[in-house]
Amino acid sequence: MNLGQTTLRFRQNSVRALEDVALRAAMKQAADTFGAKRAEAFAPVSDLEALRDRASGIRDEVLADLPRHVETFVASATRAGATVHRAKDAAAAREIVAKVLSDRGAKRIVKGKSMVSEEVDLNAHLEAAGMEVFETDLGEYIIQMAGESPSHIIVPAIHKNRRQIGRLFTERLGVPYTEDPQALTRIARGALREKFLSADAGISGANFAAADTGSLVLFTNEGNGRMVTTVPPLHVAILSVEKIIPSLSDLPAFLRLLPRSATGQAITAYVSVITGPRKPGDATGAKELHIVLLDNGRTEILAGESRDILKCIRCGACMNVCPVYRTVGGHAYGWTYPGPMGLILTTLLTGMAKSHPVVDASTLCGACAEVCPVRVPLVPLILQLRRRKVREGFPDPKERRVMAWFGRAAASPGWFSLGQRLAGIFWPLVRAVGGKDVAGRLPPPARIPFRRKAH
Amino acid sequence: MNGEERVRLFLENAAKAAAGTHLLPGPEALRDVLAGIVPPGVPVYCPGLTAAEEAVADLFPNRVADYADAAATVEEVFGAVAETGTLACASVDGRAVQAGLLPAHHVAIVRRDRIFAELDDLFAEVVSAPPTNLTLVTGPSRTADIELTLAIGVHGPERLDIIVV
Repeated sequence: MNLGQTTLRFRQNSVRALEDVALRAAMKQAADTFGAKRAEAFAPVSDLEALRDRASGIRDEVLADLPRHVETFVASATRAGATVHRAKDAAAAREIVAKVLSDRGAKRIVKGKSMVSEEVDLNAHLEAAGMEVFETDLGEYIIQMAGESPSHIIVPAIHKNRRQIGRLFTERLGVPYTEDPQALTRIARGALREKFLSADAGISGANFAAADTGSLVLFTNEGNGRMVTTVPPLHVAILSVEKIIPSLSDLPAFLRLLPRSATGQAITAYVSVITGPRKPGDATGAKELHIVLLDNGRTEILAGESRDILKCIRCGACMNVCPVYRTVGGHAYGWTYPGPMGLILTTLLTGMAKSHPVVDASTLCGACAEVCPVRVPLVPLILQLRRRKVREGFPDPKERRVMAWFGRAAASPGWFSLGQRLAGIFWPLVRAVGGKDVAGRLPPPARIPFRRKAH
Repeated sequence: MNGEERVRLFLENAAKAAAGTHLLPGPEALRDVLAGIVPPGVPVYCPGLTAAEEAVADLFPNRVADYADAAATVEEVFGAVAETGTLACASVDGRAVQAGLLPAHHVAIVRRDRIFAELDDLFAEVVSAPPTNLTLVTGPSRTADIELTLAIGVHGPERLDIIVV
């Protein structure tokens, strides 16, 4: 459920997140668990750097001529029997999906996890059109029941503990209270099984789309992705154009990198490769397959200085290691995509005016770039956005004035040491006037400045 | 990597992913192993599309025609990958890939000459004409969505047994 973009309130969101002790503990646990598992999963991979080079190279190759790869994909998927729709923006994508569904009288929809569907706020639109939409990924199912939005792209309900989930299930499903994850999972299995079998249509995303064969590729662990794409008579897949890879034979590189980077698994429990709808003689597959290729600003990003962000394969590894994300969690970023890749994508897709505070949500430590399996240059991309933010006049004017003064003073040794001396003299006054708010946050000036000690 | 190494590595990796693994000394042992894996009397879906499936179909007195009604599916799969301990299930020859998804127990028979060393070998074989559905299966269905605690059997099988013949 998309609750509207709140990226402009990144600071306030962060303060609120910092006060939520349970959330911080959950975020830290997720980040640490995935971080440790990731390292463990990559340990036996002897040629990791070569593998990253290869995957990065494939992604570069796609971006070097994305329109051609899109054309090839559209032709191949069409040949395989799918109907491909191009959606220029979020509104167009919502309309296309709603029309495909309503033309066929679909009322009950089961949905696999898809960040792109969150990006275009698909559920609310379909519900407004009178359809019932059931999220079937366990984490998404939980937060849909609670009326919330995902806090983590891999573990959407990481901000909820087992007792909250147990109470939610009791309230909403009328089952006896339990807080055992295995028992809760079994309850969800039963409740959702009935939905799968009676659904008119399934909606999924896709992790990759192979241009040469027109295949969609989905990585899942629970099996809901398999259900959504094979059990209902109609399958609608929504994905953004940059998910395309040139060939199905390029997939192994990503099969080796993505699950390890995301959850520390050598491979996800399931990988579905879907090529067109059910054909004569087949006993598997939806009778009709519609693929919605979303642009929503990607073509513009491709032509600009930030195009390398389109290499991203949405593993979430950059988030787990990011000191900002680990502390404030996914909700603080205020839109679909959090963490280092998320702040870049949010700014590019929704515009600087709607997102500029989040450009500061990085310490530039570079941990993100170090783990990125496809070598997205995250730090330079963030720096570019910060320069753009200044160029477009978005920084806080007070902050700009102070930094301009500091810049001038710091450029001259005389002014700088005068400033240091003044800081020492006026510190008691600053502390007296500013009180705990200032003195508690700023360290007192050293009695002998470091640059004099260094001589 | 020779055939024996592929079989060994495949079974080792499949076991790591929490699949039950069974290596048969010869084809005659298949019936005995199956009798030990599938509880007697449970509704079983066994499509009877291959020689191996036909040879064991009569083991299950309660054989059902619709996998949605089955407690277990016993089937021969398209192939396997040693690198990751993965089964490759494909919608070839009228096979319903979702038959290995809906029942709580999936029993997969893999011919040893269908075990590929690496993922690339599998995709090299299918890339020229991929089936409508190719599903790679590694271990039973799982989630860690509640407090990152592993739970088995979300929407897919909670038990996966692999028999290499």
